[in-house]
Amino acid sequence: MTKLSLKSILSKKNETVFILTSLMERLNAGIWIEDDTGNTLLGTRAEAYKVEHMIKVDNDLIGVVKGDEEANIIAAVLDLSIKKEAEKRKLGSEVLNLYQEINLIYNFSERLAQTIDAPTISEITLEEAGRVINSNSGVVILWDESTERLKVLASSGELFFVEEKLYSELRLLSKILLSGQSEIITDVSALSGAGVLLPEVKSVIYSALKVNKRTMGAIILSSNEFVQYTAADLKLLTTLALQSSAAIESALLYEKNLREAKEREEAMRLVYEATGKFVPYEFIGSLGHNVITDVRLGDQVEKIVTVLFSDIRDYTSLSERMSPEENFKFVCSFNERMGPAIRRHRGFINQYLGDAIMAIFPHNAEDALLAAIEMQKEVQDLNKIRISNDQIPIQMGVGMHTGPLIMGITGDENRMDATTISDTVNIASRLESLTKHYSVNIILSDSSLKQIEQKEGFHLRSLGLVQLKGKREAVEIHECFDSNTLPDMEKKLSTLAAFNEGVSFFLNKSFHEANLAFKRVVDTDPSDHTAKFFYRNSRKIIDEGVFENGAGIVAMHEK
Amino acid sequence: MEQKLLIVDDEAHIRMLIGQTLEELEDEGVNFFTAENGEQALEIIQAEKPRLVFLDVMMPKMNGMEVCRRVKKELGLNDVFIVLLTAKGQELDRQKGQEVGADVYMTKPFDPEKILEKAREVLQLQN
Repeated sequence: MTKLSLKSILSKKNETVFILTSLMERLNAGIWIEDDTGNTLLGTRAEAYKVEHMIKVDNDLIGVVKGDEEANIIAAVLDLSIKKEAEKRKLGSEVLNLYQEINLIYNFSERLAQTIDAPTISEITLEEAGRVINSNSGVVILWDESTERLKVLASSGELFFVEEKLYSELRLLSKILLSGQSEIITDVSALSGAGVLLPEVKSVIYSALKVNKRTMGAIILSSNEFVQYTAADLKLLTTLALQSSAAIESALLYEKNLREAKEREEAMRLVYEATGKFVPYEFIGSLGHNVITDVRLGDQVEKIVTVLFSDIRDYTSLSERMSPEENFKFVCSFNERMGPAIRRHRGFINQYLGDAIMAIFPHNAEDALLAAIEMQKEVQDLNKIRISNDQIPIQMGVGMHTGPLIMGITGDENRMDATTISDTVNIASRLESLTKHYSVNIILSDSSLKQIEQKEGFHLRSLGLVQLKGKREAVEIHECFDSNTLPDMEKKLSTLAAFNEGVSFFLNKSFHEANLAFKRVVDTDPSDHTAKFFYRNSRKIIDEGVFENGAGIVAMHEK
Repeated sequence: MEQKLLIVDDEAHIRMLIGQTLEELEDEGVNFFTAENGEQALEIIQAEKPRLVFLDVMMPKMNGMEVCRRVKKELGLNDVFIVLLTAKGQELDRQKGQEVGADVYMTKPFDPEKILEKAREVLQLQN
């Protein structure tokens, strides 16, 4: 509050000035008013005066009324109005101080509302407290229940305490900091003596941080000078502490929730990863879910896919020569090779059935065919190792078919299983079993072939029609010999024209011509067992003169 | 030249607070005027042509927006610097303030330091 100036009061056109001038005129006496430096403010100065009246505000001289006896009257009037003015100013100043305090708390709350981070809240509190309370440094200390230690959340200014002492002098400090009180410490000797406070610290004021009567910590301000902290300082600090403790509590809870949510998420991710190894994500994804826990009994989806079946030929006799453990190891190492080949071509394994694999290719048949070729090459690699280990090489057949497939969840509420229900699966499986009869590596149905855009990229030959057991329609099938050895491929290419000719004669029921065509193939390439198969069959039809299921169709009843 | 300043608010304690905040300017020779409604404010502005007006928006009779519009748009008193005071939480959009020609916006509860700073800046008084 600035000092009351007599000059500013008398220079205005207010009531006081009006009364004083009128009075001075009426009294008609030699009276004048001077300010504290002797300048005449009102009236006319004379050489001599009888009366000299000091005008004071709170013992501060602000002016003098001088003149004849009547000057006392003027002085009395001036005294009264000055007193009123001073009172008005004092009241105004108090109101302004209160208002500034409200403004401070208002701004403080507003800043707190914008943050959800405990250290930042503590920093803001220290900053606001330091603005109004005379101090050098400050600190917000929290009691950490999990570690049973005091923890510094934020500090401002230079460090005024020894941090290690927070742990070693817990008994002394807990009396002060965790008692839940707010106090002014005028005698800091106990704390300095214990080495908690640095020697230069002279005054300390602190307030507990409390939530629901539970003390969570304290805010402490210190000064390196002797400061006579007032009750108003303490009240203000307590108010700030009250607001920030609620905010800190919320922030800590928020952090805890966030941390727990992250942990849960991580646990879920692990479960998700683990389940993905049993039930493919693609399967869950096809059902319109993100995680397996969302899957419900009866969920299903129908899609056009390519189903691939692979099986090790004569595995039963192969496995008879192995111990169960060797058997298991073999299947594992085999599947380890096949899985990646399937996934590389956007397929997923729906089921491992011992040595057999059922895979689904949701995008196109080309993916499945490329995977089949790669799988066959893996088998060749494996065989190299087997041969060098004096083991019998294995043979694997692959069959594939493209068609609608229903993927769904069956079972009961307690035991659910991801299942595929489809004729497409049956056909693929049967085509796989045909590979043995035709002595080919890969058989694909015509519907798979139709889905392949770049047919030129593959080495294919037609194997005619087959009537599968329980099926009314015959299925046209093809061989892919891309996975065969290079000499084998070259031989098949050189006889391809004759072979194709044979197949079309066969389909047209011209079995003599077909027989001749296949004979040409076999003569050129005696290792072509597929041609031999057709050669034998056409001969059989000619000799026996009967067809089981109509013209040109090889009836297959196995499996 | 004598500097004049007008404080307009229907609430007496706000007038008192602003007056008290700017107290030191009074001692530096600034003449203070107060008005408790828009009509009164308009009369004083026309008669005294104050350099600076702290004008509350929410007032009975004529609101601060209207006072501002008349001063700036109708009377063309562009030398009168107008600080509009709005309550926090009822901030008017800036465009509306610009339309009526207000020079500055401030929100209540105001920061006394900022009020004083602004007054010193407008009245070109060094601290």
